[in-house]
Amino acid sequence: MLNYLSKKIRFWQIQNQKTNHENDKMNKQDNTQNFSQSKISLNLKENLNNLKNILGPSDDIIMREFAFGKKAQISAALIYIDGMIDKTLVNESIIRPLMYDSRSSFAEESLEVKNIDIIKRSMLSVGEVKQVTTFDEVVESCLSGDTILLINGAQEALIISSRGWESRGVEDPKTESIVRGPREGFSESLRTNTTLLRRKLKTPDLTMETMTIGRKSKTDVCLVYLKGVVNPQLIKEARQRLTRIDTDGILESGYIEQFIEDAPFSIFSTIGNSERPDAVAAKILEGRAAVLVDGSPFVLTVPMVFIESFQSSEDYYSRPYYASIVRVIRFIAFMTSVLGPASYVAVTTFHQELLPTPLLFTVAAAVEGTPFPAMIEIIAMGVIFEILREAGIRLPRPVGQAISIVGALVVGESAVSAGLIGEPVVIVIALTAVSGFAVPAQTDSGAILRFVFVILAGTMGGVGVIVGLLGVLIHLASLRSFGTPYLSPLAPLSPYDLKDVFIRVPTWAMITRPRTIGWKNSQREKLILKPNPPPEKNQKK
Amino acid sequence: MKIEKGIIASSQLTFMIIGFIQASNLLLSFSSGIVSHDAWLAILIAMVLSIPFVLSYAALGREFPGKNLIQISDIIYGVYLGKIISVSYVFIFFALVCQNLRYFSDFLITFIFPETPIWAILIMLTFISAWAVRAGIEVIARCSFIIIAIASTIILATSLLLLPDMRFRNFLPILDVPLQDLIHGTHIIFSINYLEIVVFLMVIAFVNKPKQIKTSMVGGLILGGVSVLILEVRNTAVLGTVSEIVSSPSFVTARYISVAEVLTRMEMFVAIMLITTVFLKVSILYYAVVLGSAQIINLRSYVPLVIPIGISAISFSIILAGSSMEQIHSAIYTWPVFILPFQLFPVLSLFIVKIRKKFKKRWANKK
Amino acid sequence: MRIGKGMLSIIICVFLVLSLSGCWNRRELDTFSILMGMGIDKAEELGKIQLTAQIVKPGDLKSEGGSDAKAYFTVQAIGDTVFDTVRNFTKETNRKIYLPHSQVLIFGRDIATEGVQKYTDFFVRDHETRLRTHVLVARGEAGKILDVESKLEKVPAVGISHLLKAQNATSEAIEVDLKQFICRLMSKTTAPIAPLIEISGEGEKETLRIPGIAVFKQDKLAGELTGGEARGLLWVIGEIKSGIIIIDCPSGEDKISMEIIRASSKVIPKIIDDQIYITVKIEEEGHIGDQECPDKLSLPDIKELEQKKASVIRSEVLASLEKAQKLNTDIFGFGEAVHQKYPKQWDDLEKRWDDVFPEIEVEILVDARVRRSGTLIESVSQ
Repeated sequence: MLNYLSKKIRFWQIQNQKTNHENDKMNKQDNTQNFSQSKISLNLKENLNNLKNILGPSDDIIMREFAFGKKAQISAALIYIDGMIDKTLVNESIIRPLMYDSRSSFAEESLEVKNIDIIKRSMLSVGEVKQVTTFDEVVESCLSGDTILLINGAQEALIISSRGWESRGVEDPKTESIVRGPREGFSESLRTNTTLLRRKLKTPDLTMETMTIGRKSKTDVCLVYLKGVVNPQLIKEARQRLTRIDTDGILESGYIEQFIEDAPFSIFSTIGNSERPDAVAAKILEGRAAVLVDGSPFVLTVPMVFIESFQSSEDYYSRPYYASIVRVIRFIAFMTSVLGPASYVAVTTFHQELLPTPLLFTVAAAVEGTPFPAMIEIIAMGVIFEILREAGIRLPRPVGQAISIVGALVVGESAVSAGLIGEPVVIVIALTAVSGFAVPAQTDSGAILRFVFVILAGTMGGVGVIVGLLGVLIHLASLRSFGTPYLSPLAPLSPYDLKDVFIRVPTWAMITRPRTIGWKNSQREKLILKPNPPPEKNQKK
Repeated sequence: MKIEKGIIASSQLTFMIIGFIQASNLLLSFSSGIVSHDAWLAILIAMVLSIPFVLSYAALGREFPGKNLIQISDIIYGVYLGKIISVSYVFIFFALVCQNLRYFSDFLITFIFPETPIWAILIMLTFISAWAVRAGIEVIARCSFIIIAIASTIILATSLLLLPDMRFRNFLPILDVPLQDLIHGTHIIFSINYLEIVVFLMVIAFVNKPKQIKTSMVGGLILGGVSVLILEVRNTAVLGTVSEIVSSPSFVTARYISVAEVLTRMEMFVAIMLITTVFLKVSILYYAVVLGSAQIINLRSYVPLVIPIGISAISFSIILAGSSMEQIHSAIYTWPVFILPFQLFPVLSLFIVKIRKKFKKRWANKK
Repeated sequence: MRIGKGMLSIIICVFLVLSLSGCWNRRELDTFSILMGMGIDKAEELGKIQLTAQIVKPGDLKSEGGSDAKAYFTVQAIGDTVFDTVRNFTKETNRKIYLPHSQVLIFGRDIATEGVQKYTDFFVRDHETRLRTHVLVARGEAGKILDVESKLEKVPAVGISHLLKAQNATSEAIEVDLKQFICRLMSKTTAPIAPLIEISGEGEKETLRIPGIAVFKQDKLAGELTGGEARGLLWVIGEIKSGIIIIDCPSGEDKISMEIIRASSKVIPKIIDDQIYITVKIEEEGHIGDQECPDKLSLPDIKELEQKKASVIRSEVLASLEKAQKLNTDIFGFGEAVHQKYPKQWDDLEKRWDDVFPEIEVEILVDARVRRSGTLIESVSQ
């Protein structure tokens, strides 16, 4: 199956390769004009001039020239970008040792100081220091927040890791709020995010492969997985797809998602995302890989299966019975949100015989005298709801209140009492709207499907809806996410994995990892972990 | 290069066969007029009778692992005779696609859309099947489990809801119809409801564990047969003699559901069951036609054939019969006789293969 | 990747086709009139029939401000066949008649005596009609029945169907739906039955009443069963749901009323020397519901009560049997019972069932029980 997939992808790649090559060539030429691959020269002034040319006249680029050594005979320069570095670190651990401490320690070998090794080894009290020789590397690290130390007479530059900028702390995630469970969420900084994951999974197997994507944005992207659990094929595939990306900027993980997903035309997302470290850690433990993107609190997880949309991390924290009920309720809610309006249209315009008689009376009484056909009413109300929702999200909080009042009162109440639409339509749309949010991962696909099904229902009635559902089923069954069938474990059926679909069995019974995802090392816990009160004999001992 | 790269699990084969047989419960009305309330007996007898046939299909499939009916015919009967056999099989499958499409569309038009022209419904059904066929046998197989789960739930739920309305006295006296009629009815059920699974000779080549083909085919046959039996028992127990005169007893029975005046009018669920299972059946037959014709004319991929064959299936369905009465008449009197040789033929093939093997061995020993 | 250009264009085509189909079979709720009940009568013109349809007015279903507007109206149409007449309604109503929610189908007395078989086909064949529709026979004109307002329900037809359900309390009439009616009609021996309905009272006090059960011979109305006779039939076919049996107190004066809680029956046919004997076994359980005499009931008294109750039941069954044999209609399904047990002899018997049935000897075994005595242990006494 994987072979088939990779073949497909290879074919796709070959198709795109030509254009890629052309692009690459153009870029290379572009680069060689501005950035010089050239080596750093011995002359500091020349180097600085070169750098100024490359970096341009931006104000936030600071080039601090200074001299150190016993007699301040060595001139040097620190280059960094204001705001991207940790100022205390630069002052205390770079400038201070060089300018003050060097006077005493360099007494004898003062002239040898130009040997950049000595500085690196004995003078900079900073964790991470690298020696580089080309301007390319210098510029790149400077732009990502490192400090550059250039010394007159040295053909190498020191890149001192000093990244430190204002960023949001670890906060409660805005999406995926839960009642029971950790309160921390990912933030925009990649390092914070990796730390959050590392703190959950303290094992050397947790591997983080970082790569830089984006010609202009140079975004750090980190592929995280658990060695020994993850399918190596999956990592190979993910790596391949990530390195293929060649674009000017990656500003959010959504960019990456659209570049690496399996079915770009599908309305269903084949890549999961989460803002919760615990959820991502759980997925990594199941054998998935995560893609962390600097600048985005949303972490991508692959492969994603359809059922994942209905799982919430809280399901695993609360006890299994209620969690299972909630699971089923989410399925019902999703079906309601997709099929609610369509069934209303189908039943009221095609299959009135399906309504129980008393209900038919109620509905008939309500729609008597309304001017529009049911389908138009439903579509109009649906669009109005989407407008209200969109407006509600964008508006500042205090104004948002006004929107809900306008929405509820004007659109709902008044439209009904004016006889423009029937009450059942309002009920159906309200119900749909509420249930749509019960499954956050599928709200967007749900909203699209809702309208498609309403149109199908309005033209071919219930049969149209069923045929539409079959179409969705075929589509879902044909989707794959990084080699995993999207509908697994339902189709293809893998009975062992049904433990976490419609019901959620107790944690001690979830012995294996999902087979379709983590094929290796599939046993995740000891076999007999069911808590038992100790037998009495033991107590006596 | 293989024309189909998909692999299906043996459990999926079971599901597909169950769905295939469940879909044919719509066709039970052909025989219910003949065997009246003994239909359940006819279903049971036909099911038992078809087990050896299905076993021989599975055995034939195992003799040639990874080969389907078309390739098997080529091997056994040589290129020319084999091609003739393959073409006639593909034609039979094509006819089955059209008949199922036509009968189901007639059902929809009769019960749900009396004014809709038949082509609109045919296009809709064929389109959705074409989509599935294009996606390949793997996707059809994957859909099968979900479809079976839904259909079986509906069968059980409607049966439970109708329990208060069932009168099991309706089945008495057992064996009321003349033996001749019973044989006739059993034959119809045997060849239309069950042995149409001869089409799975086109599919079992893709099963990942050839050893399990036998069990999954017989398992599918029995489970499917049992679910049809449940439906038939339900219909007769609820409707009594009326079930002999209506054209779709299952649908009419579901209409009869009324529990506490709230759980009423469940026919839409039966419609869902019928549409989904018929979709599965038509898709498998359609797939067999498309794959078979692609193999006969040595194409590298069957995908280009999907749409043309779909369009001809639509046209053929329309001209198939002048009226639904005509189709029912042919289904009762001519079709079961016509299709029987095709269902028996694989048994003959198996026989030939076995004999040939034996002789070869003996010959080899002599040498 | 999977959905290429071709697939996309096919999807678009399908949507276009779908939008073409927009008008077939589409009907908004306010474009048809919901039929709730239908009555079939003979028209004055020879050979024609007159249908009366009761149709709801959805607008008046909402009871706001106690408007007295009726939530229904009735229309009448005359035609040659049922289907023809149903279509003829459109000559008087601007909306097409919509059948699936029809609750009752009432045959007028005239048409019932003439035979109903030819008027039932439509109600089974049409895709809109349902087998759950109640079948009734009017004592008089069916059209008039549908004109009588219901005191509790906004739509009288719903009232009629609820009225039929309420008959369970006495078990002196039976709910018959179209399926049951058709099944009996299609049987060669078992006679169709249907509840009777009539108008009682006049003017303002006009209401509907279910007086008993109409009995058909083949498809023609043959007679009526009322009161105990009707219950006698229900005892045999096992349709007793509830009801009151009145017996004398052990002391001889005053009455005790027993409520029937559950009952079951078994019909066992036997052929000995070409003579058919039928044994009807009835088991009944009941409570004491009302005791007029102040006696304290001893255990032997209870046994006596049970025997008295059994004899009441037996007499009811006998009454209905006598009537059925007099009318020569096999309403009990004895023919079917014989058929089921003696399929070989049946071929011969079926042909001459009309001669056989009145001669059948029936043995009635009743096992009646008193299980509880209500909330009292002793009677209210002075």
